[in-house]
Order: sequence, then structure tokens, then C-alpha cells
Amino acid sequence: SVLSAICFRNDETLSYIFQAGMALYKIVPKNPYYFWSVMSLIMQSISAQDENLSKTMFLPLAERMVEKMVKEDKIEAEAEVELYYMILERLEKYKEALDVVRGKLGEKLTSELQSRENKCMAMYKKLCRWPECNALSRRLLLKNSDDWQFYITYFDSVFQLIDESWTPPPEEEHSLEGEVHYTVEQAVKFIEERITEESKSSRPLRGPYLAKLELIRRLRYRGCNDEYKLGDPEELMFQYFKKFGDKPCCFTDLKVFVDLLPSSQYTKFISQLLEVIPLSATAESEIALPADIKALQQHLCVVQLSRLLGIYHAMDKKQKLTVVRELMLRYRHGLEFGKSCLKTELQFSDYYCLLAVHLLLDLWLEGEESAVWQCLTLLEEGLSHSPSNAQFKLLLIRIYCRLGAFEPVAELYSSLDAKHIQHDTIGYLLTRYAESLGHYAAASQSCNFALRFFHSNQKDTSEYIIQAYKYGAFEKIPEFIAFRNRLNSSLHFAQVRTERMLLDLLLEANISTSLEESIKSMSLSPEEDDIPWKDLRDNRDLTVLFNWDPKDRDISEEHRKLSLEEETMWLRIRSLTLRLVSGLPTLSHTIQPKNSEKTAENGVSSKIDTIRSLLQQLEAAVDSGKKFLEQKIQYPVLGPPPTRMAGFFSNGSCQCQTSLFYLVSDIYELDTNGLGKSEIQERIGNSFKSLVDRLTDLFNKCKGDLIEVRDGTLKTHPNLLENLVFFVETISIALWVSSYCDSVLRPFKSNLQKKKKKKKESSVAMPPVFTHFLDYVTELQTLTSNVIDHIKGLEIILTALKLEDLSLKDTLVNVTVIRDLLTVQYLL
Amino acid sequence: CIVHHLSFLGLWVVRYFKSATALMLCMFTVMGKAEGSVAREEWHGHVTALSVAPEFRRLGLAAKLMELLEEISEKKGGFFVDLFVRVSNQVAVNMYKQLGYSVYRTVLEYYSASSGEPDEDAYDMRKALSRDTEKKSIIPLPHPVRPEDIE
Repeated sequence: SVLSAICFRNDETLSYIFQAGMALYKIVPKNPYYFWSVMSLIMQSISAQDENLSKTMFLPLAERMVEKMVKEDKIEAEAEVELYYMILERLEKYKEALDVVRGKLGEKLTSELQSRENKCMAMYKKLCRWPECNALSRRLLLKNSDDWQFYITYFDSVFQLIDESWTPPPEEEHSLEGEVHYTVEQAVKFIEERITEESKSSRPLRGPYLAKLELIRRLRYRGCNDEYKLGDPEELMFQYFKKFGDKPCCFTDLKVFVDLLPSSQYTKFISQLLEVIPLSATAESEIALPADIKALQQHLCVVQLSRLLGIYHAMDKKQKLTVVRELMLRYRHGLEFGKSCLKTELQFSDYYCLLAVHLLLDLWLEGEESAVWQCLTLLEEGLSHSPSNAQFKLLLIRIYCRLGAFEPVAELYSSLDAKHIQHDTIGYLLTRYAESLGHYAAASQSCNFALRFFHSNQKDTSEYIIQAYKYGAFEKIPEFIAFRNRLNSSLHFAQVRTERMLLDLLLEANISTSLEESIKSMSLSPEEDDIPWKDLRDNRDLTVLFNWDPKDRDISEEHRKLSLEEETMWLRIRSLTLRLVSGLPTLSHTIQPKNSEKTAENGVSSKIDTIRSLLQQLEAAVDSGKKFLEQKIQYPVLGPPPTRMAGFFSNGSCQCQTSLFYLVSDIYELDTNGLGKSEIQERIGNSFKSLVDRLTDLFNKCKGDLIEVRDGTLKTHPNLLENLVFFVETISIALWVSSYCDSVLRPFKSNLQKKKKKKKESSVAMPPVFTHFLDYVTELQTLTSNVIDHIKGLEIILTALKLEDLSLKDTLVNVTVIRDLLTVQYLL
Repeated sequence: CIVHHLSFLGLWVVRYFKSATALMLCMFTVMGKAEGSVAREEWHGHVTALSVAPEFRRLGLAAKLMELLEEISEKKGGFFVDLFVRVSNQVAVNMYKQLGYSVYRTVLEYYSASSGEPDEDAYDMRKALSRDTEKKSIIPLPHPVRPEDIE
């Protein structure tokens, strides 16, 4: 109950826990209270801004506290030993940590299997004690020859020892952990022995066979020609396939080692694999089919490998279409085996269908417009037989979004039932396109789901930490903290936060509430920037869509880096736009003295300075963005989606929005200096004119056929939709800025009218800026009603579209299903 | 494969080449009060969730994870290991039976369904450990129970 009152957020709290722990311990000398205090010191060392302070104060104090208990032989629980280890490790006292684990205290480490061994191994690595690393990994591999991490350590250490020309000390134990292998020959013999052992088992483990391939790879890398002793990788991989080809993991296992195969051998390798699969042609089928699930899985593995080795990519269009036909035949045949599958299970032949779709996608990207429609029908077919297959749903989502059809996406995503951390890792699939394709309700909803998760994370992790204290699970506490930070620094979190606010303004401001009220309710202010730019983390799962592509077409580290860069740039532009808009209401209030000799004590003129500074930052961000786009990066279609940045620049909405903010600056200047200067009025007048031109240009870019019918096939033009969405946003900003203009000009006008009355002069000329503004507003009105008419026209065209007139080959799904999906999704 | 064990939550995560391929969430628990639990022979290991990614099935991973849990439960002096499984999930029920588990009791409407579908019953399956010398913990109950009747 002491703990549940605590919120683990700052150092004050932590030192409170320290004191509370010690105080309780004095009254009731139970270990848990004492170790709360120790743990609180560790947490203070983690969160300390000054790293020096951690190393010289908090951790040493924690260490002394534990040492006291050790000396008095009062250590009881496993968690207390883990805590001691944690402290020593953080102090980089690796030798001492090793001694603790190997000593009597280490005997308490029982909850985790091999806990002592794992901790020893970690310390040996830190201390670069390769003999011990090798001996221990050797022993652990003897116990479990499938534990891959120890093969890695075993190999790493052997080669380190070879490079150091290490030899065992005469007449002594090789190492603390026993016998050491320090030559290639010994390593080869060891691996061969593991394989021999495994081959005796009725259910052999895969580890040793893969270890042999790994050893070959390492020897090749080192330029050793010892590999001839181990055999040809092709032969070994063939043997591996014969043993494990019927397991779904065979593909991912072999994928790791395909770079050991020479490309001239690819076709031969595939043929070799096919030969050993029991397939038989029947009277009805033109192709040889598997008689059971095992043979099907083996064949599927070969198809996946064929794609990986680039064999399909080298084919021409006709050959590719033949392969697609064959794969679908195999897919449908394979459904026989899955007749008794539950709705929650996947069909055995599902990935034949997915592979066929991937081939069609290749064709689509090469310019075959009709291919994408076949993709949709095949995926929908697959989903109808395998309603739980997330891969079908994910690819449908990807394709529908690229076509510009968001309507079916909302339900597909919802059927994935993404929860918790998935809001961070795959939420982008939805949020990237919901608003950009005009589905404002879905966009709001998807943002809300994500935000609810991110906000509850704070509270939830505090709960976890409390529980960890309660049960003495100290090792977990730094992990929970790291988890919380990972989510707080999430790129997606920052994006969703920003976009939701922009969206809310779009939907409410000066509609249901005033701009000022909306901004107040969001607690927005132009000076504040709550995005942790330096610490932003990309938590997106960019490989959530299955991919059997060869390495040169796959998602690379470079793609990930570039995508993060692009997303961050776009976020900066959006964030600055939001802050600029949030500054508009502040400007209206702050002008008191019209003669601005008085510079701000209380930030009267600093508001405009903030705006102007933000505008400069926006220009800089736009410049960076434009420079970035010069690289013309193409991400793989199954990889990260590009941001909206390119469209934002090319359709002119960027230039328009920036001009609007410059206009704000000019109007402010007019407000401050009065109507005397004609230069400002002229500039403002020109701005109004060019804004109307720009907005009209932007609107023109929204015109055209959303679905174009050409030569019997359909081609969609989602950019027309995206431009329309940018138009709506830009004109909203234009209207908010107009509101500001009005708030400045109106008092001028009424003042002038009063003066006119007083002086009884009829010949005071109205400043031109008034007329310019009136014209501007009128033209905006006309433009807006034109746009509304245009949207209404779009709806009519789409519902009249007759899809039956188009040829869709190999369609098994009812065409009207597709039509219904498409007609609904374009409605704004 | 690399097996991580997160001891507090009793969460095992198995990783193959960087991506998590199987996980098991388990706890060591008693029913009712902690005091006197040993005397009432109710200290046991409990599997809250066990899941193997489809791409890594038929490799014996589930069996391996269950074996690990049993080993640790033995070390901690547990009497048995138990788990709940949907009555309709014949594949899972058979797998556990092959691993030595038997149906101890049925829990009616244990699993609440998502939309419109009825709640589903669960089998409470158990395997006795060596501490339960007379195998008392796995003697099946003659009648089903409701979720309110268990902890």
C-alpha cells in the first residue's frame, strides 16, 4: 500500500522510496524493505542526467549496501543476488560479478534455466576471456545442440583464439570452464560429431546442420580453403532440404545461407530439390501435384526459394502469367487438405496464393495495369477460405491504399485485432492513409486508438514497476523503464499526436468552436515543442508483410534509415504548421499600443517573433525536404510507404500554406504601423491575388478521373484524392488566416468610418487593402462552392461506373463485390 | 534458437534469427491463500498462454517449452502443472495429452467470445509432478465447474 501511492516518475520519488525502505527496515528488519532502498539507488543511477553521478555516487552506495548484507550472511532471495550482479555489471566490475555468480551466492540463481551459465558467459565476453567463452559454449552445446546463440559464441571464440595464436597452458586446466577448442580442425570435428549425434535421433534438431553451413561461411569469409573438408554448400543445403523440407521453417533456415550458392547454380539447385518431392500428375491435372501435406510443404518451400533466387524475376510477362496460373492451381488443389481446418487456422496452401499475388504485383509495378485487379480478387479469394490469415489482410490493405481505396481498409485492419504495442508497430498502416485519402472519421478513430494506448502506457508501466518491487523482481525494473521510454520516444506517437490535433482543428475550428477555443482546449501554444527530436525512435515493423524477394529487391537498412529521415522531416513540417496555426489567436490579442515603440516586457511583440521564427524554421524544413526528395527514392512495395511530402510540394499546397503565414506576418506589420505605408498594402494586395491563383491551381490538380477506363482496364488516380485533401486543409488555413485579417482590418475600417462621420468628409479614400481583402474573400467563396460542386460530381460518376464491361480474367470472386467496395470508398 | 526467460512474469520467448517465434507466459501459483498452500498441495506451475508462430510449427517447440516449465516447477517444488484450453481446440488438446496432460475438469463458459458468439468452455488439463507422489492432483472431477468457482 505504500508502493501503490507512488508514481515512479522523478528522482524525488526515488529518494522517498529509499528513505521509506530504510525506515521500514529499522522497524521490521525484513530483506525486501532493505532491497527496495538498494533498488531505488539503481533507478536513480539510471535516470541520473549526470552519468558521473551514477558511477561515483548511486551505484557505489548500492554496492556497499549489498556488501554489508553479504558480509553478515543475510542474503536470502535469488532476486537479491540478481540485484548484486546488476550493480556490479553497471559499475563495469565484470570480474567481481563473475566471482559472485560462480561463488556460493550464485547457487541461488535457479528460476531461470542456465541463469548462472548465461551470466558467466556475458561476463566472459566483456572480459574477452575467449578460452572460457569457448569451453562454456562447447559444454552448453553438448547439453542442447539447438541453442544457436552458443554456436555463434563457439565460433567467435575459436577464431579469436586462432587469431591470438592461443595454445593451452601446459599441465593445467585449459580454462575455468574446462576443455577449449582452438583450431579449425577441432571446430570441424565438434560440429561433425553433433551432426552424427543428431542423425541418430528420431527427431533430429536443426542446429548442428545449420552450424556446419555457418562454419563454411566463416571460413570462406576468412579466405580459408579448409572448406573442402566440410563439403559443398549446395550439397549440404540439398541434404538439409531432404531432412527438413516439410517444415515451414526450412525456407527461413536456408535463406540465411543462400549467398553461399553461386548464382550459376541456382536453376540446377532448384531442379535438384524438385526431384526429391513426391509429386504425381493425374489424368485431370496438367501438373504434378502433392499427395499429402508434407509434399505440399516441401514444394511450397521450393517455390519460395525460386523467388528468393530471382528465378521468377528473370522471366518475361508470359512466363510469369503461366507461373501465376500454376500457383493458383496448386493453391486450390491444396485446399483439399485443409477441409477440416478451423476458422482460426490457416490453410496449408495459403502461401501459394500469396506468391501468385507477389508475381502479379511485380507485373503491375512493371506497368501491367490489369494485374493489380487480379491481385485483389485472388487475395479476397484466399481470405474467404482462410479468414484468419493476416498476410492476406495486410497485403489487401497495402494494395487498396495504393489504389486510393480506403473504405475496405478500416474493416480489414479492425479484423486484425491489433492490440497494445501493435498500435505502435503497425498502426502506421492505417494512419498513413486514413486522412490522406479523405476518411476523416476513420482517421480520428485510428489516432484515438493509438493515443489511448500511448497515454495509458505511462500509468501501466508504473503499475508494472510497483508489482516488480512488491515481488522483488528487480531485474525487470530497468526493462520496464526502457519499455516506457521506447514508447514515449516513438515516432508514431509523435506523428499521431500532431496529426490528431491538425485533424481536430480541421473538423472543428471556426465550425463548431472558434479557432481560439479549439487551441485552448488542446493546450497548444506556439512556443512549446513536445516532440523529443533527438530521441525519436522508429518502432514501426517494416517487415510485417511477408517477403520472399531476393536481397537486392528486399527492404534494406538503407531503406529504413531513409524512411525514418523522411518521416522525421515530414513530422517537422506538420508540427511547425500546427504551431503556426496555434499562434494565430495569440496575435489578435496582443496588440495594444499601435505605435510599437514599446518592445515587450510581457511578450507583446515576442508573439510575432515566435511566429516569424517558426516560419523561418518551416522554410528550412521545406528546403531539407525538397533536397531529400531529389534522391527520388523508391521503397519496395512491401516496405515502408513514402510520406505525403512529395505530393505536398508538387501540388503547390506547401507554397500556398507558407505564403499564408507570410501574409500573417505582413498583416501584423500593417496592424502595428497603421495604414500609412502603401508598400505594405501593395504587398498584401499581391499576396491576396497570388493566393487565389495558387488555390485555383491546386483545385485544378484535383480534377480528372479518379478511375480511368482505358483499353478495357482500370487505372486509378489516387493523387486526385490526395490533392483534394490537401486543398481542404490549405483552404482551412486560408480561412483561419482570413479570420485574423478580418480581426485586424475591421477595427481600422470602423475607426475610419467614425472619423469620416466626425469630420463630415466624404472624400476620405478607403485604403486599397480593404477592397483587396473583400475581393479575396469573395473569390475564396466562389472557389469553395466550385469545389463542393466538383465533389458532388465525383459521387455521381463513380456510382454509375459499370465494371461488368471490363475484362477481368480468372475472376472467381463476384465482380459486384469489387464494385460495391470501390463505389463506396471514394465518397468524401 | 535462443531462449530468453523473463523470470518475474515467467515469460519465455524463443527467438529464431531475431524474430520471436514462440512464447509462453507462465506463473507459479497457488489457489486461495499463500499460507498453508504446501500442506494443501496446491503449489503449482500454471501456463497462462502458449503460442508458436505458424512458420515455426511442427518443430517440437511447444513440447520443449512445456518441458522447461515442468523442469522449473519441479525445482520450485510444485505439485503439478496446469493450463486451460478451449474445448474446440482439438489440435492443442491432443498435443497436451501426448505430453502427459489429462483433463482434470471442465470450466463452463471460461472463454468470453468477441462478437455475438457464445462463450466457450475450457478444459483444465494437468500433469502431476514428482512431488505429488500419489498423483492426487490429477484425479478428474466428476462434474464441471464455473469460472467463479476457481481462483
